[in-house]
Amino acid sequence: MSKKYAVLPCNGLDKCAGQMSKEIALLVCEQGASELICPVFYQVTDARYDKIAKENPLLVIDGCASRFASKLVAAKNLKIDRKLMVTEEAQKRGIQLGLEPLRLSEKEVDLCKVFVAELLKEDVDAPIAATGTSLTYPVPEDYIVYTKDKFIFRIPKAGFYFTESDCWVQLCGNLARIGVTDFVQHSLSDIMFFTPPVLDMDVEQFGEVGVIESGKAVYELVCPVSGKVKAVNNELLTAPELINQNPYEQGWIAEIELSNFSEEQDFLLTPDEYLKVLEKKVADFHVKK
Amino acid sequence: MLKNEKVKVIPCSGMGKVYGLMAREATLHAVRHLCPQHAETMCLAYVVTGDNEIKESMKDSTFITIDGCPLMCSAKSVAAMGGDIQGEFKVLDVMKEHRGVRPGTATELTPEGWKVVEEIGGIISGRVQQIREERR
Repeated sequence: MSKKYAVLPCNGLDKCAGQMSKEIALLVCEQGASELICPVFYQVTDARYDKIAKENPLLVIDGCASRFASKLVAAKNLKIDRKLMVTEEAQKRGIQLGLEPLRLSEKEVDLCKVFVAELLKEDVDAPIAATGTSLTYPVPEDYIVYTKDKFIFRIPKAGFYFTESDCWVQLCGNLARIGVTDFVQHSLSDIMFFTPPVLDMDVEQFGEVGVIESGKAVYELVCPVSGKVKAVNNELLTAPELINQNPYEQGWIAEIELSNFSEEQDFLLTPDEYLKVLEKKVADFHVKK
Repeated sequence: MLKNEKVKVIPCSGMGKVYGLMAREATLHAVRHLCPQHAETMCLAYVVTGDNEIKESMKDSTFITIDGCPLMCSAKSVAAMGGDIQGEFKVLDVMKEHRGVRPGTATELTPEGWKVVEEIGGIISGRVQQIREERR
């Protein structure tokens, strides 16, 4: 079954791409239980659509680079779940959309159907646990902060264990999230690619569990614990920069069902122990520079 | 029709990263060599001063922003000052199409880096052309 969206198209009445934006919105709503938001009405008042927009995943459809629908969402301070820019997507297929036709021909309607099929297909294909289980992990409240030059390295003070290879694990019952530390994201700088581990694969402690890559280097993620991969953070596929922005929260990598943590804990570092490792690495890094 | 005909192309400052340098060089390539008749650049630092003269000149202008990294400083700053942004580009998006390319450092580009800069300049120039056609 298709995901239910709150669908916000732009109102580009005077351009072909704008007309397509509305057509796509209608098709999405017709093929699922999604609800349509009128951008003009929503612009002038919150009352009618605020609840729909806030309680459902938001699909934003912009016709052209003016991105009026996206700007409206930004003005309303809402989070976008999916975004489609009609002109860009058409260009990727070698199709240049002009100002006309305003009344869509069969060709444009077919293109709309292709976009809709892709939007809805991804939902069907997505593994249920791919973006995380329903567990709520505590947000780190306090950090050990170590500063060197312009770089600030944070280490959560509680609830996390670390490896010497700069990965972390945060436990929640028999499940655990894993990720990389500030040292990795600073060393790599802007992370551009994320290759996730395969769902349901078994991983050994210190085995490889995905790859991240920047313009500077490729980093193989070392799993701090053994177990089965139960979820991966699919948001990183389109926004790997989340690892740079906050590697301990939105930048988590995967969720592991633990198989032998009581024994493996001895091989992990506490925050204070990891701080010593970090200080040495940062010092070595600066010497090498 | 907008009064101010030339599209303003605003790169981020991106001083500490190669992608910032690429954004600036791509902007200069576009406005100096590819479409000097139809585009010009402005200093982002000047834009964010909020000074009356700049606010006034922004009123009737169309902007394209080009950012080095996902922080999108240029796009956010121009939007915050009320600029009409008709194109937002990010160097990292183009670099993703050139996996493995080493573009250089924050102060010096490699020949590979210059090639990507020329490509980004072409993207900017293409958007300038589109905006002109949309105005007609």
